[in-house]
Amino acid sequence: MTFSVGPVSDSIASWIAGLGVPALAAQIVAVLFVCAAPVLGIVFPIAGVAQYFERKVAGLAQRRKGPMVGATGLVDFVFDLALFFQPKWRRRQTARRFERLPVVSTVLGKVRMWGLGSIAADGVKMFLKEDMAPAGADKLLFHGSTYLAMTGAFLAFAVFPFSQWFHMGDPPVAALYLGAVTGLVAVSVLKAGWSSNNKWSYFGGIRSVAMIVSYETPIALSIAVVCMWSGTMSLQGIIAAQYHPGWFSIAGWNLFQSPFLALVACVYYVAALAECNRAPFDLSEGESELVGGFHTEYSGLRWGLFFIAEYSDMILVGGLFATMFLGGYQSPVGEEWIVSLPPVAEALVHTAILVAKAVLSVGFMMWVRWTLPRFRIDQVMRLSWTKLVPLALVSLFGLAVTQILTATRTGVVEIAYGRYSSAPVVRPDLFSWMVPWAVVGGAMVALVAMAKRWGAPPEPIEMRRLTGKGAP
Amino acid sequence: MNIEREGDFITLSMGPHHPATHGVLRLEVTTDGEVIAACKPDIGYLHRAIEKIGENLEWFQFVPYTDRVDYVCSMNSNHAWVLAVESLLSTSEETRLRIPERAEYIRVLFAELNRISSHMVGLGSMTMDMGAFTPFVHALGQREHINDIFERTCGARLTYNYMCVGGVNRDLHPGAEAEIRTFLDGLEAAMKDFNRLISTNNIFKGRLAGVAAISAEDAISYGLVGPNLRGSGVDFDLRRDRPYGVYDRIQFDVPVGRCYAGAKGRLGDSYDRFVVRLLEVLESIRICRQALDQMPPSSGKEDDPVGGWCVSKAAQKALRKPPVGEVYFRCENPRGETGYRIVSDGTKFPYRIKIRTGSFTALSIFEKVVPGLMIADVVTLIGSFDIVLPEVDR
Repeated sequence: MTFSVGPVSDSIASWIAGLGVPALAAQIVAVLFVCAAPVLGIVFPIAGVAQYFERKVAGLAQRRKGPMVGATGLVDFVFDLALFFQPKWRRRQTARRFERLPVVSTVLGKVRMWGLGSIAADGVKMFLKEDMAPAGADKLLFHGSTYLAMTGAFLAFAVFPFSQWFHMGDPPVAALYLGAVTGLVAVSVLKAGWSSNNKWSYFGGIRSVAMIVSYETPIALSIAVVCMWSGTMSLQGIIAAQYHPGWFSIAGWNLFQSPFLALVACVYYVAALAECNRAPFDLSEGESELVGGFHTEYSGLRWGLFFIAEYSDMILVGGLFATMFLGGYQSPVGEEWIVSLPPVAEALVHTAILVAKAVLSVGFMMWVRWTLPRFRIDQVMRLSWTKLVPLALVSLFGLAVTQILTATRTGVVEIAYGRYSSAPVVRPDLFSWMVPWAVVGGAMVALVAMAKRWGAPPEPIEMRRLTGKGAP
Repeated sequence: MNIEREGDFITLSMGPHHPATHGVLRLEVTTDGEVIAACKPDIGYLHRAIEKIGENLEWFQFVPYTDRVDYVCSMNSNHAWVLAVESLLSTSEETRLRIPERAEYIRVLFAELNRISSHMVGLGSMTMDMGAFTPFVHALGQREHINDIFERTCGARLTYNYMCVGGVNRDLHPGAEAEIRTFLDGLEAAMKDFNRLISTNNIFKGRLAGVAAISAEDAISYGLVGPNLRGSGVDFDLRRDRPYGVYDRIQFDVPVGRCYAGAKGRLGDSYDRFVVRLLEVLESIRICRQALDQMPPSSGKEDDPVGGWCVSKAAQKALRKPPVGEVYFRCENPRGETGYRIVSDGTKFPYRIKIRTGSFTALSIFEKVVPGLMIADVVTLIGSFDIVLPEVDR
């Protein structure tokens, strides 16, 4: 009997067995490592430092520096811990005296930390705060929903390909599975809101469910579009279908294959923002309307679990967006040199590329959060049902029609990518590629022109004074 | 989960410690899901009996208390009080004061600067209530510059106690004119950034367009004042229509609501009130520049009738034995008309003081406009009225 999830776990197992460990035990350890590494080694650390980057992005947006506490702050902290029995002013006084010593002040003046200490401070704060449940709360649900919050995101990583073989599994219906597990976060938010015995939490929970129900539809439709194009529901298959030989491997990415795929990428990203409960769709949190929304009553580490769940969801969305539209773990500058590497090295390089794409997406979400105001609940619903769902349907039918009309010109090819051979994939030739872009581009230009010609009446002249554009 | 049920309604207590109520306002909201069926403002959490305290203070001692009536625009509150007392003194020839011209210009200049900073807080916190934190920080960044200028002149950043009966407490600090001009230039550019970032944002417009539209008749009959009144399209501004200080020597426009949100908006909706405030900031910049241009240079002598800044001796003398009588004086403050009714019995203490403020009357229309809005709209409505709670309770 052998345990294996592919060449990566095999080579790790043989390395461990070389240390004198029995073969079976080595295989089990290797498989466990490959299964746990994505969540524990990639998602958790990124979610942990995300708050720091969130603050830095906020600082950039607001023309300030963000967290900048340096070594002096750490010294203060050490003195706070060591002299906890003294009043605060005395602790500070002692710390200042220490910091002003000749050598110490020189050293402290030279150490730059860019505020990285705030990561540790956040962690310590989260652990030290009291874990409270409000009177009248449903204790089981109140405590249980924190664990459920992370479950959805982490279950999704079970089918998530970080490289050709660095994954827990690659079921042929991975897309369906993803749709099922990512909805779990709504259950946890609903339970958290319901069990808190707080009306603001209750509103947050209800809002979250209303939103998830609406936004699962465009997400499912856009995943369906990608699956239709790639001819498979396996994530590895979707990635393999985006393979393009040579250095110009961007040409294989789904985002550029058809205007309908580009459209559906936008639909997916907007809907995924809503499913992550991120701004401008953070209505279930809505800190200015609902105090704290569903997590009003949570404190300490339990609040931290919701927080990590939110960032895990963001990383997941970034990774899925990359998988479906940006070639997954494939590099933008040619694939052959990576595929020919030994298994572990290949896994590392591919993982790094995918994580880079996911982190860029997380950064984009932060940028959006610090730029846009929040929607109202009816506007959120309207956006989903009157804009996103029709757009997703249009691209579904548009892509299907394109595929049928250009079937004689395009080759249905089976792409052999590395060790993976894909399901049959439609690859348009240059003409069948350009025609849909021209048609959709022309329609867009026409729509904009029509909106300008027959659209809303011009704004009052004072509005021009506000932005200085064409000021009277 | 215990929800008091009455049919399908939930009673929510919004405040007194709620992030969007701008202080200690409590709204008792009855909601049907997200839609609000009834709303009752509950005030009095910040009542300090300032008017009663004033009866036991000498006339000039009341100035620091006017700072606390509306701490977001202390200069304007000071201005209203000292003008009220001066108009009381001018009812008798013996006690009439001749305020130095420079002091009048300094008052108008600082009142307008404080109007800008107050509108910055109002506009910024309104965007923050809608989940956009960045514009709030940008707006408060501009307010910091004004606070710096005020601090260099009068030593305080929030409650200034700067204006006094007879003028202002001290002259502008050296280099103030250049500093203020530089700031105004920077503010113009910053306002364009602010508007590109948030005011013309489609989500932002969509949240405010058509929400809580108040007709001109309603606005007048409920006693709305200032930008809230003008947002409903009523063209009335005390600075232009009943000029006080040196406002009659200054050219400026009065922005009124004109359905700025376009096709989706309605006259007098939240967006109109927001834009009226934005335009008022631009008008205030014009007023400040003109005040700086027209201001006579300092003569270095305190009670010089042109270049001085305070006739303190004459004021002290007059206030020891003010004329018997009653005045009501009103000023155009950032939150609208602020009126001081003073009854004097000829002693050095006021007999009675009554303050009329814009935020207080603005709260009265809540019961009418809130039903039918959603919870998120109430938050923007509070922001668009720019309510400051110490002004409500006093």
